[in-house]
Amino acid sequence: MSSDFLNLLERLVNADVDFVVIGGFAGVVHGCTYVTQDIDICCDFSPATLLALQRAISDLHPVHRMTPKRKKLKLTKQTCVQFKDLYLDTDIGQLDCLSFIDGLGDYNQVKGESELIEVEEMKVRVLSLDALIKAKKSMSRPRDKEAVLQLEAIKELKNSQQDLL
Amino acid sequence: MLKPYSRGLIIENMAAKSKKNRMPMRKSLQTAEIQAAIDYGIDISMLIQNVKRSCTERIIRHQIALNTVEKLRKARRL
Repeated sequence: MSSDFLNLLERLVNADVDFVVIGGFAGVVHGCTYVTQDIDICCDFSPATLLALQRAISDLHPVHRMTPKRKKLKLTKQTCVQFKDLYLDTDIGQLDCLSFIDGLGDYNQVKGESELIEVEEMKVRVLSLDALIKAKKSMSRPRDKEAVLQLEAIKELKNSQQDLL
Repeated sequence: MLKPYSRGLIIENMAAKSKKNRMPMRKSLQTAEIQAAIDYGIDISMLIQNVKRSCTERIIRHQIALNTVEKLRKARRL
Protein backbone atom coordinates (compact mmCIF):
# COMPACT_ATOMS: atom_id res chain seq x y z
CA MET A 1 0.00 0.00 0.00
CA SER A 2 1.20 3.55 -0.70
CA SER A 3 1.97 6.12 1.95
CA ASP A 4 -0.88 8.32 3.02
CA PHE A 5 0.32 10.84 5.54
CA LEU A 6 -2.94 12.76 5.71
CA ASN A 7 -4.74 9.58 6.69
CA LEU A 8 -2.10 8.89 9.33
CA LEU A 9 -2.48 12.39 10.78
CA GLU A 10 -6.26 12.14 10.69
CA ARG A 11 -6.17 8.91 12.68
CA LEU A 12 -3.98 10.48 15.37
CA VAL A 13 -6.20 13.56 15.60
CA ASN A 14 -9.39 11.50 15.76
CA ALA A 15 -7.91 9.31 18.50
CA ASP A 16 -7.15 12.46 20.55
CA VAL A 17 -3.41 11.80 20.52
CA ASP A 18 -1.74 15.00 21.70
CA PHE A 19 1.20 15.47 19.33
CA VAL A 20 3.31 17.93 17.37
CA VAL A 21 4.51 17.24 13.82
CA ILE A 22 8.28 17.69 13.71
CA GLY A 23 11.16 16.79 11.37
CA GLY A 24 11.11 16.66 7.61
CA PHE A 25 7.33 16.64 7.29
CA ALA A 26 7.10 19.82 9.38
CA GLY A 27 9.51 21.31 6.83
CA VAL A 28 7.15 20.26 4.04
CA VAL A 29 4.27 21.96 5.85
CA HIS A 30 6.32 25.16 6.04
CA GLY A 31 7.15 24.97 2.32
CA CYS A 32 10.29 22.87 1.83
CA THR A 33 10.46 21.23 -1.58
CA TYR A 34 12.07 17.90 -0.67
CA VAL A 35 10.19 14.61 -0.33
CA THR A 36 10.23 12.81 2.99
CA GLN A 37 9.20 9.23 3.53
CA ASP A 38 8.08 9.34 7.12
CA ILE A 39 6.21 11.45 9.60
CA ASP A 40 7.99 12.39 12.78
CA ILE A 41 5.93 13.45 15.74
CA CYS A 42 6.78 14.45 19.28
CA CYS A 43 4.28 13.37 21.88
CA ASP A 44 3.88 12.80 25.55
CA PHE A 45 5.02 9.24 26.26
CA SER A 46 2.44 8.60 28.96
CA PRO A 47 0.68 5.21 28.77
CA ALA A 48 -2.60 6.97 27.95
CA THR A 49 -1.11 8.73 24.91
CA LEU A 50 0.80 5.71 23.63
CA LEU A 51 -2.19 3.42 24.00
CA ALA A 52 -4.37 5.94 22.15
CA LEU A 53 -1.74 6.08 19.41
CA GLN A 54 -1.70 2.30 19.22
CA ARG A 55 -5.48 2.18 18.91
CA ALA A 56 -5.37 4.79 16.15
CA ILE A 57 -3.15 2.69 13.91
CA SER A 58 -3.94 -0.84 15.12
CA ASP A 59 -5.54 -1.93 11.82
CA LEU A 60 -2.50 -0.75 9.82
CA HIS A 61 -0.27 -3.62 11.02
CA PRO A 62 2.18 -1.42 12.92
CA VAL A 63 5.63 -2.86 13.58
CA HIS A 64 8.81 -1.62 15.26
CA ARG A 65 10.83 -1.02 12.11
CA MET A 66 14.20 -0.79 13.90
CA THR A 67 13.98 -4.26 15.46
CA PRO A 68 15.57 -7.14 13.54
CA LYS A 69 12.34 -9.08 13.06
CA ARG A 70 10.11 -6.02 12.80
CA LYS A 71 8.26 -6.89 16.00
CA LYS A 72 4.55 -6.12 16.07
CA LEU A 73 3.51 -3.11 18.10
CA LYS A 74 1.96 -4.52 21.24
CA LEU A 75 1.94 -1.88 23.92
CA THR A 76 0.43 -2.37 27.32
CA LYS A 77 0.14 0.01 30.22
CA GLN A 78 3.17 -1.70 31.74
CA THR A 79 5.42 -1.80 28.65
CA CYS A 80 4.72 1.79 27.63
CA VAL A 81 7.15 3.08 30.24
CA GLN A 82 10.05 1.26 28.54
CA PHE A 83 9.99 3.50 25.50
CA LYS A 84 11.47 6.92 24.89
CA ASP A 85 11.07 6.74 21.11
CA LEU A 86 9.01 4.57 18.78
CA TYR A 87 10.08 3.95 15.19
CA LEU A 88 7.09 2.40 13.49
CA ASP A 89 6.16 1.19 10.06
CA THR A 90 2.51 0.89 9.06
CA ASP A 91 0.61 -0.03 5.92
CA ILE A 92 0.33 3.65 5.02
CA GLY A 93 3.73 4.97 5.99
CA GLN A 94 6.44 5.24 8.58
CA LEU A 95 5.67 6.99 11.83
CA ASP A 96 8.43 8.01 14.21
CA CYS A 97 7.37 9.13 17.67
CA LEU A 98 9.84 10.96 19.88
CA SER A 99 9.53 12.10 23.45
CA PHE A 100 12.42 14.57 23.30
CA ILE A 101 14.02 16.74 20.63
CA ASP A 102 17.64 17.86 20.83
CA GLY A 103 17.86 21.61 20.98
CA LEU A 104 14.24 21.99 22.11
CA GLY A 105 13.46 19.61 24.95
CA ASP A 106 10.57 17.39 25.96
CA TYR A 107 7.02 17.32 24.63
CA ASN A 108 5.79 20.25 26.70
CA GLN A 109 8.63 22.45 25.48
CA VAL A 110 8.09 21.31 21.91
CA LYS A 111 4.36 22.00 22.19
CA GLY A 112 5.20 25.47 23.47
CA GLU A 113 7.12 26.10 20.25
CA SER A 114 4.46 24.77 17.92
CA GLU A 115 1.69 26.38 15.93
CA LEU A 116 -1.77 25.14 15.05
CA ILE A 117 -2.53 24.67 11.36
CA GLU A 118 -5.70 23.54 9.65
CA VAL A 119 -5.46 20.77 7.08
CA GLU A 120 -8.65 19.51 5.46
CA GLU A 121 -10.74 20.64 8.44
CA MET A 122 -8.50 19.04 11.03
CA LYS A 123 -6.33 21.01 13.37
CA VAL A 124 -2.77 19.79 13.69
CA ARG A 125 0.11 21.13 15.75
CA VAL A 126 3.33 21.66 13.79
CA LEU A 127 6.70 22.80 15.07
CA SER A 128 7.17 26.50 14.30
CA LEU A 129 9.59 27.54 11.58
CA ASP A 130 12.05 29.05 14.07
CA ALA A 131 11.96 25.99 16.34
CA LEU A 132 12.39 23.65 13.38
CA ILE A 133 15.47 25.60 12.25
CA LYS A 134 16.83 25.39 15.79
CA ALA A 135 16.20 21.63 15.99
CA LYS A 136 17.68 20.93 12.55
CA LYS A 137 20.76 23.01 13.35
CA SER A 138 21.34 21.16 16.60
CA MET A 139 21.34 17.80 14.78
CA SER A 140 23.99 19.00 12.31
CA ARG A 141 23.71 15.92 10.12
CA PRO A 142 24.83 16.46 6.51
CA ARG A 143 21.28 15.91 5.21
CA ASP A 144 19.96 18.59 7.55
CA LYS A 145 22.15 21.25 5.95
CA GLU A 146 19.91 21.64 2.91
CA ALA A 147 16.82 21.60 5.11
CA VAL A 148 18.21 24.45 7.21
CA LEU A 149 19.08 26.44 4.08
CA GLN A 150 15.57 25.92 2.69
CA LEU A 151 13.91 26.79 6.00
CA GLU A 152 15.95 29.96 6.43
CA ALA A 153 15.16 31.00 2.86
CA ILE A 154 11.46 30.29 3.51
CA LYS A 155 11.60 32.45 6.63
CA GLU A 156 13.06 35.27 4.58
CA LEU A 157 10.46 34.77 1.84
CA LYS A 158 7.62 34.79 4.36
CA ASN A 159 8.96 38.00 5.86
CA SER A 160 8.87 39.60 2.46
CA GLN A 161 5.72 37.82 1.26
CA GLN A 162 3.57 40.93 1.32
CA ASP A 163 6.02 42.53 -1.03
CA LEU A 164 5.97 39.52 -3.36
CA LEU A 165 2.20 39.27 -3.70
CA MET B 1 20.25 49.37 3.84
CA LEU B 2 17.60 48.46 1.30
CA LYS B 3 14.11 49.84 1.59
CA PRO B 4 11.61 47.15 2.67
CA TYR B 5 9.48 47.50 -0.45
CA SER B 6 12.35 46.40 -2.67
CA ARG B 7 12.97 43.06 -0.90
CA GLY B 8 10.41 41.06 -2.82
CA LEU B 9 11.65 42.30 -6.15
CA ILE B 10 15.24 41.50 -5.28
CA ILE B 11 14.27 37.97 -4.20
CA GLU B 12 12.24 37.41 -7.39
CA ASN B 13 15.18 38.67 -9.41
CA MET B 14 17.56 36.37 -7.56
CA ALA B 15 15.21 33.44 -8.06
CA ALA B 16 15.02 34.12 -11.78
CA LYS B 17 18.78 34.17 -11.97
CA SER B 18 19.08 30.99 -9.89
CA LYS B 19 18.13 28.93 -12.92
CA LYS B 20 20.98 30.32 -15.02
CA ASN B 21 22.79 30.34 -11.75
CA ARG B 22 26.03 31.08 -10.12
CA MET B 23 26.10 34.67 -11.39
CA PRO B 24 27.62 37.07 -8.91
CA MET B 25 24.76 38.52 -6.90
CA ARG B 26 24.42 41.78 -5.14
CA LYS B 27 24.84 41.01 -1.48
CA SER B 28 22.64 42.51 1.16
CA LEU B 29 21.92 41.61 4.74
CA GLN B 30 18.24 41.05 3.95
CA THR B 31 18.83 38.44 1.29
CA ALA B 32 21.80 36.58 2.76
CA GLU B 33 19.64 33.53 3.46
CA ILE B 34 18.28 33.51 -0.08
CA GLN B 35 21.77 33.86 -1.51
CA ALA B 36 23.07 31.01 0.65
CA ALA B 37 20.28 28.75 -0.61
CA ILE B 38 20.95 29.71 -4.24
CA ASP B 39 24.67 29.10 -3.79
CA TYR B 40 23.86 25.62 -2.44
CA GLY B 41 21.81 24.89 -5.56
CA ILE B 42 18.31 25.24 -4.15
CA ASP B 43 15.71 26.38 -6.67
CA ILE B 44 14.32 29.47 -4.97
CA SER B 45 11.53 29.84 -7.52
CA MET B 46 10.05 26.56 -6.24
CA LEU B 47 10.26 27.82 -2.67
CA ILE B 48 8.54 31.07 -3.66
CA GLN B 49 5.66 29.13 -5.24
CA ASN B 50 5.42 26.86 -2.20
CA VAL B 51 5.31 29.74 0.27
CA LYS B 52 2.32 31.14 -1.63
CA ARG B 53 0.42 27.85 -1.21
CA SER B 54 -1.66 26.79 1.77
CA CYS B 55 -0.45 24.06 4.15
CA THR B 56 -3.02 21.68 2.68
CA GLU B 57 -1.81 22.33 -0.86
CA ARG B 58 1.80 21.74 0.19
CA ILE B 59 0.93 18.45 1.88
CA ILE B 60 -1.12 17.24 -1.09
CA ARG B 61 1.64 18.15 -3.56
CA HIS B 62 4.16 16.38 -1.33
CA GLN B 63 1.90 13.31 -1.26
CA ILE B 64 1.73 13.29 -5.07
CA ALA B 65 5.54 13.54 -5.27
CA LEU B 66 5.99 10.78 -2.69
CA ASN B 67 3.55 8.49 -4.51
CA THR B 68 5.53 9.03 -7.70
CA VAL B 69 8.80 8.22 -5.93
CA GLU B 70 7.25 5.04 -4.51
CA LYS B 71 5.93 3.98 -7.93
CA LEU B 72 9.32 4.58 -9.52
CA ARG B 73 11.02 2.59 -6.80
CA LYS B 74 8.70 -0.35 -7.40
CA ALA B 75 9.08 -0.11 -11.18
CA ARG B 76 10.94 -2.89 -12.86
CA ARG B 77 13.71 -2.42 -15.36
CA LEU B 78 12.61 -3.52 -18.85
